[in-house]
Amino acid sequence: MPQIRTAYFGELDYTDGTVFHFPYGLPGFEHEQAFLFLKQPHIEPLLFLQSLGNSRLCFILLPILVVDPDYVVNLDAEDLAALHLPPGRQPRIGEDILCAAIVNTGAGQDGEATANLMAPVVVNLKEQIGMQAIQTGSGYSHRHPVPVGREVAPCS
Amino acid sequence: MKRRAGESFTIGDQIEIEVLEVAGTRVKLGIVAPDSVAIVRKEARVTREENITAAQPVAPDALTALAHRVLRRPLSTQGVTRCQIHDTPGSSGTEK
Repeated sequence: MPQIRTAYFGELDYTDGTVFHFPYGLPGFEHEQAFLFLKQPHIEPLLFLQSLGNSRLCFILLPILVVDPDYVVNLDAEDLAALHLPPGRQPRIGEDILCAAIVNTGAGQDGEATANLMAPVVVNLKEQIGMQAIQTGSGYSHRHPVPVGREVAPCS
Repeated sequence: MKRRAGESFTIGDQIEIEVLEVAGTRVKLGIVAPDSVAIVRKEARVTREENITAAQPVAPDALTALAHRVLRRPLSTQGVTRCQIHDTPGSSGTEK
């Protein structure tokens, strides 16, 4: 079983079936085209997009609906084709696609964490193909404050 | 500066921008520039810069603080040592 060194979680076994392909990489990291999605029970809902080719490269993500429950993703015909999604209708978040925002831990005012809602990571869950889909003209911010959650009871 | 479709303007000696078409709120531009000049949409440039910052390593306690901020629940003291591969996100995955 292949193994990688991860940025945050030490060595990890994985299988080829868990690899997600990003044919265009991500802006700034165009040559990194294979990633694993990782999560860790104690720090959910954080998600981690770990590069297979560069062990030090790991993006921290939040599911987009955690950041903005009303978020609407709009993929144009080119994006839908790149993700092997059927043309003519928008995919459903959580059913057809995973949609998550890259978190910048210290980019906001007073060093607060922000999430890039302007360019979410979108993944076709069935085909395991992903891209960063820039939402041109959407009005979403690339530095949206990460919301402070409401208090929840211990162990819930 | 005001331009109509079919009119153009130049930036320096080597860059020419022509307004090809105006339709509603969308404007189609033609750009002539040297190969050495990168032409990218502003959003792509911003995203690239944001990705490069976001890719900087984060200390483990900053991760737990971030998760805490989102969830506001008492944190376990257990370290970040185990993780899950998220096979098909939404499923339970395989614990390693």
